Amino acid sequence: MSTLIIFVLLVALMLTGMPISISLGLTVLTFLYVLTDVPVEAVALKLFTGIEKFEIMAIPFFILAGNLLTHGGVAKRMIRFATSLVGHWHGGLGLGAVLACALFAAVSGSSPATVVAIGSIMLPAMVKAGYPMRFGAGVVASSGALGILIPPSIVMVMYAVSTDSSIGALFMAGVIPGLILAVMLMFTTWYRAKKLGYPREPRASWRERFTAFRESIWGLLLIVVVMGGIYSGLFTPTEAAAMSAVYAFIVVVFVYKDLSIKDIPKVLLSSANMSAMLLYIITNAVLFSFLLTYENIPQAAAEWMLTAGLGVIGFLLAVNLLLLLMGNFMEPSSIILITAPILFPIAMKLGIDPIHFGIMIVVNMEIGMITPPVGLNLYVASGISKLGLTEMSVAVVPWLLTMLVFLMLITYVPEISLWLPRTLGMLS
Amino acid sequence: MPIKILDRLEEIFIALLMASATLITFIAVVHRYLASSDLPIESVQDWLVQLDLSWAQELTIILFVWMAKFGAAYGVRTGIHVGVDVLINRLGDQKRRFFILFGLFAGALFTAAIGTLGAHFVWGNGAHYAWLSWQGLDIGDVPEGPVTPDLEWPTWIVYLAIPLGSFLMCFRFLQVAWHFYGSGDLPHHDHGFVLGNTDGSNDDMHPKDMKGAK
Repeated sequence: MSTLIIFVLLVALMLTGMPISISLGLTVLTFLYVLTDVPVEAVALKLFTGIEKFEIMAIPFFILAGNLLTHGGVAKRMIRFATSLVGHWHGGLGLGAVLACALFAAVSGSSPATVVAIGSIMLPAMVKAGYPMRFGAGVVASSGALGILIPPSIVMVMYAVSTDSSIGALFMAGVIPGLILAVMLMFTTWYRAKKLGYPREPRASWRERFTAFRESIWGLLLIVVVMGGIYSGLFTPTEAAAMSAVYAFIVVVFVYKDLSIKDIPKVLLSSANMSAMLLYIITNAVLFSFLLTYENIPQAAAEWMLTAGLGVIGFLLAVNLLLLLMGNFMEPSSIILITAPILFPIAMKLGIDPIHFGIMIVVNMEIGMITPPVGLNLYVASGISKLGLTEMSVAVVPWLLTMLVFLMLITYVPEISLWLPRTLGMLS
Repeated sequence: MPIKILDRLEEIFIALLMASATLITFIAVVHRYLASSDLPIESVQDWLVQLDLSWAQELTIILFVWMAKFGAAYGVRTGIHVGVDVLINRLGDQKRRFFILFGLFAGALFTAAIGTLGAHFVWGNGAHYAWLSWQGLDIGDVPEGPVTPDLEWPTWIVYLAIPLGSFLMCFRFLQVAWHFYGSGDLPHHDHGFVLGNTDGSNDDMHPKDMKGAK
């Protein structure tokens, strides 16, 4: 009964359009005040202690690093390097865009940031080379989704925080699925470009490729800093995030000179703004999951699931459908923070690996980002391409279908996600 | 005019918190690395080893929590808080106006409630004690309140972020509601803009304002 009241209240408040964080908080306060005798003062303390974890602080650091890197230089050089490698095949610039998104995703933890960084340079270039805007916008919006699958990833930190999983293992688990998805998206791009007769670039010589590689080395080294640092145990993920912010600052201001010192306060402020919004959702989501646990809802849901005899395959399918549906209306961080406390205990009871489950959720979130009406990537890409949201939603369809196939692959073949972290000895 | 000064202070404050947290974590990592490696100059090495930076992590957390509380208030002013606006953006102007105001007041109500709870908590966990001892009054059985584990700062000062940030946020909600009531404008955050691009704001995560409404 209380489960029903909690969720009806939450959904009703959310549908009025108030911030998700506020609806979560108000649901908890109302429920506790009206229907229980939990001292409400305990809630205020939770608001502070909810985010008193060093792991969570990776989020603001990664956002800062991402915002610094989005300003031009790093993305531009990665695009040049990517295009020199794959540009001579059918749909060369499109393939270059996918590869560049994959490279940029390896230094940035956010999908919309990847779309902006690659799209704002690549789209004009593609249109100039004779591609229809729709094709270019579709490629960029969907490959931008790689941003949260290829580590570092803010969405993975969210999952790790709300389920107490290892951020390092999740990051490693994202590498191979990320590469496979990049190849699948490139195949779709190549196939469509070949069928529709889109242009190819002249083949770059090995010398040109090497020059492009050398020019983009400062950005590519960041991958080594983050992944190498975490894997070797030199830094914790949060420290790696802070290091990458400082590194990005040095590269952007002193090496590539895309920004001057005067621009830095503005970048700091916008990063703080975005981080505070996410941290505020986390705080209220912690309150919410405290309420769920207090009411024993996750355990009840798990038991109900087991008696219903849904089994692993059925459960994973149901989770995918639920998350895809929610992905149409909410952004990834909120979805994970709200659903993980309920879904995770069920998954554990069914013997699903927490890391595999996390990767599957992240892939769902990627798809949510390119499906209307709420798809962050769609609307960022529509901002760059000046295509309407409806046209954007049609433009991504071929890649969206590719991603659905990929989702099935990830869901039912756990080894794709688990092999690398297990081989590196990061799974217990 | 004073509001302009408040706005500016708020911006400087959260940008500084962001910058200092980054610097502190960076320095702590470099220090740990250098102190554990073999440096050629022994005196530098000794100095590094005896330098204790174990409080860095705690300070980073405190800085970020303060940034989160005040940044959330700033976020109301910049319209960055995301919601589910699919439904209300499809309503008529009158109804949408009602729901937007309802949402803003709900925000004000929630933050006021949290601010009050937080103030109560801070008062009972050391602020009352600090006040009495500062005034030289009889302390009686008022608790002194705990301190943080590494820095040993009184926790009530650290937790002060909750009432201060929440009341500021409440004020921002009322400010935005007042402005919207008068002009029909809402602050709009453009995710693309922050990240370097300049157009497009028609997602369904933020309410549409009344611009262009008849």
